[in-house]
Formats: sequence, structure tokens, C-alpha cells
Amino acid sequence: MLKCRDLVRVASDYLDGELDWRQRLSVWTHLAICGHCRTFLGNLRATTALMRGHSDNRAREALVRRIDERVAEALARAEDPP
Amino acid sequence: MDTQVTDNQEAQLIRGLRARDESAFREAVRNYTPGMMAVARFYLDHAAAEDVVQDCWVTVVTAIRDFEGRSGLKTWLHRIVANRCKNRLRTAHREVNTEFSDALEPELAKRFDARGHWQSPPRQRWSEAADALLENGALNDCLDKHLGHLPETQRSALMLYEAHQRRSDEVCNILGVSASNLRVLLHRARQKIFLMVETFQETGEC
Ligand SMILES: [Zn+2]
Repeated sequence: MLKCRDLVRVASDYLDGELDWRQRLSVWTHLAICGHCRTFLGNLRATTALMRGHSDNRAREALVRRIDERVAEALARAEDPP
Repeated sequence: MDTQVTDNQEAQLIRGLRARDESAFREAVRNYTPGMMAVARFYLDHAAAEDVVQDCWVTVVTAIRDFEGRSGLKTWLHRIVANRCKNRLRTAHREVNTEFSDALEPELAKRFDARGHWQSPPRQRWSEAADALLENGALNDCLDKHLGHLPETQRSALMLYEAHQRRSDEVCNILGVSASNLRVLLHRARQKIFLMVETFQETGEC
């Protein structure tokens, strides 16, 4: 019989469809009787959705300004006679 | 006609870069950084990608004189970024240590009793609120911060698999890990992010 800890251990494999039918069956059986694990699994699924939607457009302005500074330094060094 | 104009503009820009003209660099940085970030993000998380792109621009200051113009400037810049990212991942692999030892994150493992039952179960359901989670700016900032603290290979595995939706075999290839190691990396990274979101949801603190 699958314990809560075992379910948490294989939770990602379950969500990604990496378990075989026997393992899937024991997960389903456990979920049928355990509300805590249902909540955990739902929340872990929400976590993956969050990662999928995580955008990185922010802070691009700041990045460009940092690059300007570092390029200016590098240019100053490059101008120096050897 | 259009490409002609673009080619001329690019040639002019390249002349400016070779002459080490600061304004030419400012223009090039603005034109090409978004594309370079996209390439870097293919391999790395946001913070590491920013590092790599910054370093690449510093390299370009001297390397532009070796640029032969056989490929376009964009292609050349993207190749520099990709090579740097691959090197960085290769270095990170040498640090592979206990990351594969157990699929269960220690912080989460503590929350079970000796019989393997929840002692401190999740208190809230947020599966239905995924949209609201995505819209939450403070949570996204927090996510950035925590992604930055993940071990490099966990972070890359998560970004490639989750944010970029790469297939498992591609991710294994890029990271040079086995399929079973990838499973552990992904699960460990997800648990850490899960714990972070949980803390944020319950306390509003990152
Ligand atoms: Zn359970």
C-alpha cells in the first residue's frame, strides 16, 4: 500500500505520465482515500503551470543598461595602449 | 530592396563596432540583446542567461575585429552565446553531487511521520487559482529569486522542460544526464518551487 511519502516521491513522474499502469493504479487508489495528497498533487500541478507561464520580459531594460556600462568599461580598457 | 537597406545598416553598424564607437555598441546592444537572451534562455535560467549575455557583449568589444562577416552579425552573436551557455553547463555538471540521491526534498521529507503519513499536510488548495498565481507580480519576483538559488542543473532542467517545453530526450542531451537523473532533477526543483509558493501563499513573504 502506497504511503503519502511514497506518493510525494513519485508525484512529478505521475504528473508527467512517466509511471507504468501498476504504479498509476496505486497512486489512484491512494488519492481516492487521501485528501492531503489530492491537495498536494493539485498544488504541485499548479506549480508546474506557474513555471510554464513564468515570463522573463521584465528587467530587460535594466539588463541593457548594465551591458552599456560593462561595454563602456571594456571599450576604455581596449583603448589603452598595450 | 528591404534586405539591401538592412544589409547596409548592418555593415555600417559593424564598421562602428570595429571602430569601438560607443554609440554603435549602444545601438547593437538594443537590437541584438533580446535575441541573445532568447538563445541563452534555451539553455539557462534567467539570471544565468543575463550573466552570459553580459559577458558576451564584453567579449564582442575585442572579438568583433575577428568577425569575418561570412554569416550575419546576428548569427555570429547567437553562436557566441550558445557556445558560452554550453561551456557553462559543462562546468556545472562537474559539480554534480548528491542531487540524484533522493527524489524527496529534505524540507518536504520532514513533513511526514515515521509511518510515511502527512504530519504537516498542505493547508490550502491553490490548484484552481493557477491563473491568479500567474498574474501575481510579487510572486513572480519571488520565483525569479528562488530560481536563482537552485543548483544550476536543477534550474536548467526545470527551465528547459517546463518553461521551454523541451522534450525529455532533448533536455538529457543538452544537460548530459540520464533519463532517470533528469526525473530526479525535475522533481527536486519542482518541490523547492512548490515550497516557495506555499510559503508565499500563506505568509505573503518570499
Ligand atoms: Zn496521502
